[in-house]
Amino acid sequence: MDQWLNPYYLQIVMFMLINAMLGISIYFTLATGQLSLGNAGFMSVGAYTSALLSLKAGLPLYLSIPAGGVAACVLAAVIGIPATRLQGIYLAIATLGFGEVVRVIILNMKVTNGALGLSGIPALSVQIGKQLNSLGLGSGLGGITVQQLSNLSVIGLLALVVIFLVFFALRLRHSRLGRAFAAIKDDEHAAEVTGVDTVRYKLLAFFMSAFVAGIAGALAAHITFYIGPKDFSYHRAVEILLFAVLGGGNVIWGPLLGAGILTLLPELLRTVADYREMIYGGILVIMMIFRPQGLISEETLRLWRSKLFPAAKTEQEAVARRSAG
Amino acid sequence: MISMRKSMKKFGAAALAMLFTVTAAGCGGGSTSTQGGTAAGGTAKIGVVSYLSGGGAAYGEAIRQGLELARDEINAKGKVKIELVIEDSKGEKNEAINATNKLIHKDNVVAIVGPTLSGEMFAVGPIASQAGVSIMGTSTTAEGITDIGNTVFRNSLPESLAIPPAVKKAKEKFGLKKVAIMYSNNNDFAVSGFKTFEKAIKENGMEIVTTETFADKDTDFSAQLTKIASLQPDAIMVAGLYQEAALILKKAREIGLNVPVVGNNGFNSPQLIKAAGSAAEGAIVASPWYPGKDDATVKNFIAAYKAKYNKEPDQFAAQAYDALYIIADALEKAGTTSDVKKVRDSLAAVKDFHGVTGNFAFDANRNPAMDVTVLIVKDGKFTELK
Repeated sequence: MDQWLNPYYLQIVMFMLINAMLGISIYFTLATGQLSLGNAGFMSVGAYTSALLSLKAGLPLYLSIPAGGVAACVLAAVIGIPATRLQGIYLAIATLGFGEVVRVIILNMKVTNGALGLSGIPALSVQIGKQLNSLGLGSGLGGITVQQLSNLSVIGLLALVVIFLVFFALRLRHSRLGRAFAAIKDDEHAAEVTGVDTVRYKLLAFFMSAFVAGIAGALAAHITFYIGPKDFSYHRAVEILLFAVLGGGNVIWGPLLGAGILTLLPELLRTVADYREMIYGGILVIMMIFRPQGLISEETLRLWRSKLFPAAKTEQEAVARRSAG
Repeated sequence: MISMRKSMKKFGAAALAMLFTVTAAGCGGGSTSTQGGTAAGGTAKIGVVSYLSGGGAAYGEAIRQGLELARDEINAKGKVKIELVIEDSKGEKNEAINATNKLIHKDNVVAIVGPTLSGEMFAVGPIASQAGVSIMGTSTTAEGITDIGNTVFRNSLPESLAIPPAVKKAKEKFGLKKVAIMYSNNNDFAVSGFKTFEKAIKENGMEIVTTETFADKDTDFSAQLTKIASLQPDAIMVAGLYQEAALILKKAREIGLNVPVVGNNGFNSPQLIKAAGSAAEGAIVASPWYPGKDDATVKNFIAAYKAKYNKEPDQFAAQAYDALYIIADALEKAGTTSDVKKVRDSLAAVKDFHGVTGNFAFDANRNPAMDVTVLIVKDGKFTELK
């Protein structure tokens, strides 16, 4: 049991869950066919907002973290209204530029402490630990120390957010909104002709993406004690995109799997020390060659579903026929 | 209803997938950690978190080489046996956090050397502190590092101790009255250096004619230097890394700005002279590490380093080399290779240590208390500025 609750593993799980949120955030924009690379920027806005609110204004974390999401959303409105009118690679460039602009602004602001970054950010696990102490669990629970318990609580909290987001994304897919998103993704002009308000829906997806990225950034700030502008550079934006590219951007499980693999892989590769980067790069290249559409696509899901639940197959086909017709 | 059932099924599949990844992670870790447990016997495991790949890999590599040289020497002497567990941080916060967690909780190291950057230390210091494991920065010069927790040490001279003597000495020597400052504003280390420069300049009653900024990896400094030249300062103070510093020196000399240039720790590298050539003449930096020092320890170190790696050691290697000797000293006095608390206390009590960077002791805040030598580049070599 103790082996399993090793803080090292727990920390990796936390990073996996944070990255899963970032994966979901890029999924939302991809669902409308928008290639937005501004997620690192939104993440930094969320992280800095929440960190500053809790550090300087003493706001409790349960308020400062959502505030981070909201701040990212506000910024998304500023950048999104002009940017979502751009398409394809132009949007990618504009949002990538936006991310860099945010980073440079943070780098030059006094309140963000410039390149030195913010240290001593109130940690989520410490806060939860205090709560547990006040609940009389200071000595732990059934052989689990209070530190492990608070780490587990953080993981529980992050997992809840991820599960909620996944559920939301799944429900969204089959809603009126989701259908509109899918229509825009397939052919924006056709969608517009059939009466879908493409600008509004694209903007909405952009907002959702920014909000989730902001929340993820805020949570990340509170599980790592320190944030600096370097954490949100262009590399981070590419990393987030990679979650979707590797895992597959068409279904929600793709970015989730991508985030999981890309967080775990560097850690598993620590045993090979010097060859780590090489093998990591190699694996990415090989995956892209054999699965250019990403690890999980709609076909993969259908295949597995028919294998795992043969009974459901006929029902599936019925659904497919109906939506096709 | 159908979509509801469908999403439930998707959930089932996802839960399975999640379980699978978690199990895989658990298994992978479990087997190696038992391996680590048996190896710990009579040797002390020291973790190393270093910037070994990416833009600052040159620093991390020098640190690693310094540590490995020290390890071999210490093990050959046989008073304490040290095993190094080296992890790469890529200069990234999350990587450093994972590396530190792994070292502490999986490899069960008794102390950690590193990480390379101050920003990384701000992120991993609290983790080590919480676990009670001593962590010692050999190149983390920013303000406030040791305030993180009482197991956070450093043997890198903080800017607040290195810059003021350099500024003071330069003023005395060259009669400086007005100076210009340049610093890299996207580098935490340089920004911290700039702040210290500003303070030291004011304390010495000099006037700052202008403050110019640049960024790491910039290659063109003509705009800033032309402006500075027009203001005719008596000296330029530069906070940055040697790559940019060398280019600044070159450009300054090119446009006829032949004033002394006082640098922060970033100047403290043989690479600066190599890159800037004759333009480096007149560059001033304060350092505890002075390769030309007439001291047997220093000479032996340089000879051994040259023999092993076929190049001159720099300050990063020297400080890392000393750091491991300091830890070995603490381990010997603590008489343990596994009790982290005893090691910490023993480390905090280190004093009268004589290393390649001079006489060394930790002050009450676990910062180094050591002498600095102000150096000036003369005839292509760092020489003491007397």
